[in-house]
Amino acid sequence: MKRYLPVEELARDSRFFRVRMEDRMRDPRSVQRDDKDNRLTPDKPDASDRARALMHGIFVGEVQALEGAGRTCWDFDDIPFQLKLDMARQCWDEARHCEISVKLGDWMGTEVGEFSESTFLYEAACNPDPVLRLTGVNRALEGLAIDVFNTMREFGDRSGDPVLEFCEDWMLADEVTHVKMGSDWLRRLTENDPERRAKALEFQGVVDKLFSLGGFRGEKKVNPIQLARRFREMAGFSTDEIDEISDLAEQAMNEVQAQKAAAGAAYS
Amino acid sequence: MAVTIRPNPFTMVLFDADDIGRIVGEVAALVGVDRDMVVEVDEKTPLGRTFVTSLDPVTISVESGAFEDARRPRHHSETAVKDVVGRLLFRVKDRLDPAFGTPPDDAELSLPAQVAWDAYCVGRCARLGLPVQEQRRRYHFRNRHGFTDVADAMFERLWNGDGLTWAEIEAACSATEAARLAS
Repeated sequence: MKRYLPVEELARDSRFFRVRMEDRMRDPRSVQRDDKDNRLTPDKPDASDRARALMHGIFVGEVQALEGAGRTCWDFDDIPFQLKLDMARQCWDEARHCEISVKLGDWMGTEVGEFSESTFLYEAACNPDPVLRLTGVNRALEGLAIDVFNTMREFGDRSGDPVLEFCEDWMLADEVTHVKMGSDWLRRLTENDPERRAKALEFQGVVDKLFSLGGFRGEKKVNPIQLARRFREMAGFSTDEIDEISDLAEQAMNEVQAQKAAAGAAYS
Repeated sequence: MAVTIRPNPFTMVLFDADDIGRIVGEVAALVGVDRDMVVEVDEKTPLGRTFVTSLDPVTISVESGAFEDARRPRHHSETAVKDVVGRLLFRVKDRLDPAFGTPPDDAELSLPAQVAWDAYCVGRCARLGLPVQEQRRRYHFRNRHGFTDVADAMFERLWNGDGLTWAEIEAACSATEAARLAS
């Protein structure tokens, strides 16, 4: 079987539509983002449709997380067998999350493929260095999953949706475990190699900034997805590390706003 | 009946104004609204809010996300246009019908009342053969009216209803509110 499967070769049926992240970022329309409260809360008129779109994003993210963890089991010969077992366990979790997400889609009235798929999650899982891949996927990607699941869990709680709240709570618990696995393996694999550890953490910073999606995730009211500090601490992030992610998220938002303002100016 | 789409052409999105005009005309004929129509699309925002701002001519104002294909950013979707226009034209039809009663202006409608009226409108769209997402509407309704058996029963009544009045929609809202408070 092929190693290092490129993103273009991911298996998808005709229901899935892929969209490139740069196309989203080049969309000149979101220029008017202001300081209004964009958090995902049930009092917003479009709350349930936003929750549906986010749930579909979670679903395709779970598919890619499964593919990423599976590739890590297969792509490397020179990693501890115990790490492969952890990745295999993660595959089982992600496969279960895919099924839960499909059923939640049914519950919320969403069809598979109703929304487009961005593959940036899998792309972060293509790093040829297993340590960098682990930090990119298990600490950055799964860290974003903690933020998203916590936001959805709170949405389910506030809207009184018992199914959504229950499912998100269980998946959130798994994500905390996945991040913890990433933190533990990063420490163990780089115990005698501070340079590699620094490189991995630098890569994590790049991915964290990318995964902030230009203001999608952050700690201000303008950010739809809120950084879940308490669960990140449970997953092994220090306060300094969470502060750094918060700063990166704000930088990412400011940069994308500037890009969109420039793109929008071309139309005015 | 004349249909005007504004702007024409679009510049920030890749919508085809003539195609949207064709779809709006077809939906209006199906729903039975025979008045001149203006559809204003705010292409500066990707959000998806929709409003009826006038009955003569019928004027529908939407943010571009309302007509957008969720799988192809910046392109319009025939299904989305039919979904939005069908729902809003049934609302127009109700407002023009003296037997329906006198609902508040769109801007004055509470969120639960809007969603209940939408369920009634989209249910009729379904019976006309327009593309609808019943479970999506049910979920939307539950979010506004509670995850209760009473809310589900009221949704079924509105979805399958015909010839309902504004008073009956208000009564449905009162029933779900009472059930939510009691649960």
